[in-house]
Formats: sequence, structure tokens, C-alpha cells
Amino acid sequence: MVVAWATLRRSWLVTRRAYPWSYFIGTLLLGVFTMGVAYLGLRAIAGDQVSAEFAGRAGTADYLGYIAVGATAYMFVVHGILWIGKALIQEQREGTMGALVVAPARRLPYLLGFAAFAFTAVALEVAVLLGFALLLGVRPTATGAVDAVLAVAALALAVFGMSVVLSNVMIVAGEAHITQNTVFQAMAVLSGFTFPRDYLPEALRWLGELIPITAAMDVIRGVFTAGTGLDPARLGVAALIGFGYAAAGLLTMPWAERRAMERSF
Amino acid sequence: MRHAARIFRAEALKQHRRVFGSKLVVFSMLIWPLLTLAQSYYTLRPLAATPGIAERWPLAADPERLLAFLATGALGFTFFFSLVQSAWHFTFERQTGTLELLFLSPANRLVVVVANGFGALVQNVWLFACFAVAGFTLFDVARVAHLGMYAVVFLALLVPAVAWGALLNSLLIFSRDAAFLYTLLDDPMWFAAGVRLPTFALPGWLRAAGSVLPLTGSLVVVRGALLDGRGVGELAGELAALAVLSAVLLLTAVAALRLGEARARRTGQLGLF
Repeated sequence: MVVAWATLRRSWLVTRRAYPWSYFIGTLLLGVFTMGVAYLGLRAIAGDQVSAEFAGRAGTADYLGYIAVGATAYMFVVHGILWIGKALIQEQREGTMGALVVAPARRLPYLLGFAAFAFTAVALEVAVLLGFALLLGVRPTATGAVDAVLAVAALALAVFGMSVVLSNVMIVAGEAHITQNTVFQAMAVLSGFTFPRDYLPEALRWLGELIPITAAMDVIRGVFTAGTGLDPARLGVAALIGFGYAAAGLLTMPWAERRAMERSF
Repeated sequence: MRHAARIFRAEALKQHRRVFGSKLVVFSMLIWPLLTLAQSYYTLRPLAATPGIAERWPLAADPERLLAFLATGALGFTFFFSLVQSAWHFTFERQTGTLELLFLSPANRLVVVVANGFGALVQNVWLFACFAVAGFTLFDVARVAHLGMYAVVFLALLVPAVAWGALLNSLLIFSRDAAFLYTLLDDPMWFAAGVRLPTFALPGWLRAAGSVLPLTGSLVVVRGALLDGRGVGELAGELAALAVLSAVLLLTAVAALRLGEARARRTGQLGLF
């Protein structure tokens, strides 16, 4: 816990002194414009209606509410991965990876510290984006406080699991740009952020199941969009895949760090 | 001309070795635009499949034509955003000190910034452009007045995009922080230029803001020629506006280069900061 707390404090200290505002504005703008397109399209193109097919597959006819929840969740996921998943490659780029490798700190609390920072920092962005959604007339509701907490926890676990694996991929490949953007774009299509996954061909729906975010998004949809409440089966799948990714990432991390260090000499 | 051609060749070769020679670049050239296209299509589908859509937006009543509309948007955005990426890469010239060397060389500054954008554009968009053309042919959604309109479409994308790239590269003489380029010209550009929505769906103030972006004019020409079967005569007004806008962008690039270089000479900023 000492390591997690120290990492959290360090991250907040760095952020307070030199915050990369382009991160904040960049991720916020994507959410704002995604909602903006949905709002304008609904008014000017669809005449304030949605197709019956959408209402059946999404479990709601509130298109704008559906997009608002998806855009907010997407921002949460993207920002989480940008902070947690890029923590190690940032150390590599700044030349502190060697110091981290010889330090007695374990990787799990170190990454949990980054996760705690990411999820507290993203709270402000989520609040701003939901404020924008309120301006557009969206009234997000949850089926219950416990449901809401469990659904967000499932999404946070999925983000953490994916970030640990991506962290290894980035330091082994020695690059982040292609990796992170490919993952973000693939998630946007496969995980059900702005449209029901039932629209996709069956093969792509199964491919989406390999991403821990997908099951977690189904849980989010049940609680925040469809009003059907917490789906225990999907929550179980989300937890299982999330823990599986985190465990696999942490177990392979020593090998990934060795590869990254060997390449730098 | 021979001098300029040598600069164009050198810039293209440099970028090929530095950026486009890698196999990983296929992700940004093809996979990302395709995934963005798929996401846009599925997101708009619930709005397009509504009763009475044929009166409000006839094109969207046919899913294949809706996909073609979004594909033209994705193609145009790929052209213009590749120049944003190229400008971002151009800042490395400054950070590593080679921009100062370029300015000390006898190469014409304007030709350098134009060639930099042109080289990046051609190497970045050819794959997605080929894919889009193959898609249009396969789905048989293109309704062109005559084959020559394909050349008009290509030029309506290429010329304003190169002028746009020259302007972006020139503006970076003033600042080495290129992060603002990504922030300002990624999401706001697709939103205001009508990449994912027809411009009639945008409010007046947004249409006015989008009209200063060359991508907006390019998309009007591309969609008019490819999806509505309009000929050069019918698109003459839009083509003339696009030509004027491209000329203004190039002239602004010339002015920015002169001012930026004079400022850099006075402050030593090109090499020191």
C-alpha cells in the first residue's frame, strides 16, 4: 500500500505542477462531439425518432441517453488506459525504467497507484461531460446505488486488466502510438459504446468478447441505459476476464521488462 | 522547377525512410479509417432507419448510399488529417535541430513546407483511397457524370489538402508545441466539416465556422461528383471557392513563413527553444 500511495501522491503532484491539458481537452472533446453528432442527427435527420430495431436491441428508445452513457464510459476507459497502460513506457522514455526495475517496489501496487490517480482524475472529466449531456436534455438514471457502484467497479477492473497487458505490449514493442490508438478504435467498434453490439456480424461480436471492456459495458448498459438492473452473469464474466487479464499481465511483466531493458543497452 | 522537383523527391524519400517504410503504418493508413467508418455507420443507423427518412434525407434511406456518404467523409478526413500528422512530424525537425539546417540550405522554404505535406499526403492516403474506390465499385454506389469527374474529385482533395499542409507546417515555425494541433484539428475538424453528418444538419454558426476549413469545400465537391452525379458546370461555384480558399491558405503560409523566420532570427528560437 505504501507504494500505491506514494505513486498516487507523485502522480497528483506532477499533475498539479505540469498538467498535460491536451489529454483533458482531447478526450473531453471526443465525448462532446460524439454527443453533438447524436443530438444534431436526432433533431435534423431522424425527426426526433429512432428505429424500432434500435429500441429493441438497445432496450431503450432514448438514443441520446444511450450515446451519452457510451461516450462517458468511452472517455473513462480511454483515460484510464492512457494513464495506467502508459505508466511503464513513460518511465522507459524518461529514462527511469532502470531505477524502477532495481527498486524494491512491486508492480501491482505501483500500477494500482496509477489506477487510483486515473480514476480520481477522470471523475472531473466525467462530471463535465455529464454536465454537457444534461444541457442536451439527457437525464441519466441508474437502477440503484449498489448496482451503479458495482457496474463502474466492473468497468474499472476491465480497464486495469487491459492496461496491465497493454503496458507489457508497449514496452516490448517500444512504441505506444499505434498500439493505443488501434486498441481505442477497435474497442469503439466492438464493445458497444455508441451502438448495440447486435448490429455487428456474429464473428465480430465474438471477437468483442475477448476484450474485458465488452462484458463490463453490458453491465453498464443494464444499469444505466436499459433499466434492467445488474446482470449477474455478465458481471461475473467481466470480473473473470478482468482478473484474468490483470493476472496474465502481471505474470508476464518481468519478461517484458527484461526485453525492454535488454533493448535499451 | 528542377530545383523544386529535387526537394519534393528528397522530402518524400526522407518521410518514407523515417515514417512510411514501417509495416506498422498500415494501421494508421487503413485500419483506423476503416474502424472509424464502421463506428460512424453503426452509430447513425438507428437515425437513418426511421419512418419518413426519405423526405428528410433521401440518401440515408439506402444503407449502402449512407455508407458511401460516410466513406467519402472518412476519405476526405484521411486526406486532411494526414497533413495534421505530417505537421506534427515536422516539429521533430525543429526539436532535433534539422529545421535550422534546412533554413540554412539553399532550398526554397515554401517549397520545403509544401513538399513535406505533399510527400506525407501521397504516402499516407493511397491505401485507403484505393480501398474506397474498390468499395464504391463493388457496391456500385458511385453516380458520376463522366470518368473525368474522378480526376476532379482527386484534385478537389489534393490541392486544398496540400495548401492546408503548407499552412500547418508554416504555423509551426512559431511554436514547437504541436499537441494543440491534434487537439484543435482532430475532433473539431470532423464535427464542423460535415464528415459524419450532412451540413444541413448543422446549426448556422457551426456551418459558418466549418466553411473556413478546406475539408468542408472538398467534401461538397467529392459528394456532389461521386454521389449526386453532378458535373463540372454544376460544381463550378464550389470549385472556384475551393481554388480561392487554397490560394488564401498558400498566401497565408508564405506570410507565416516570412514572419516566423524573421522572428526566429531575432529571438534565436529555432535552435534554442
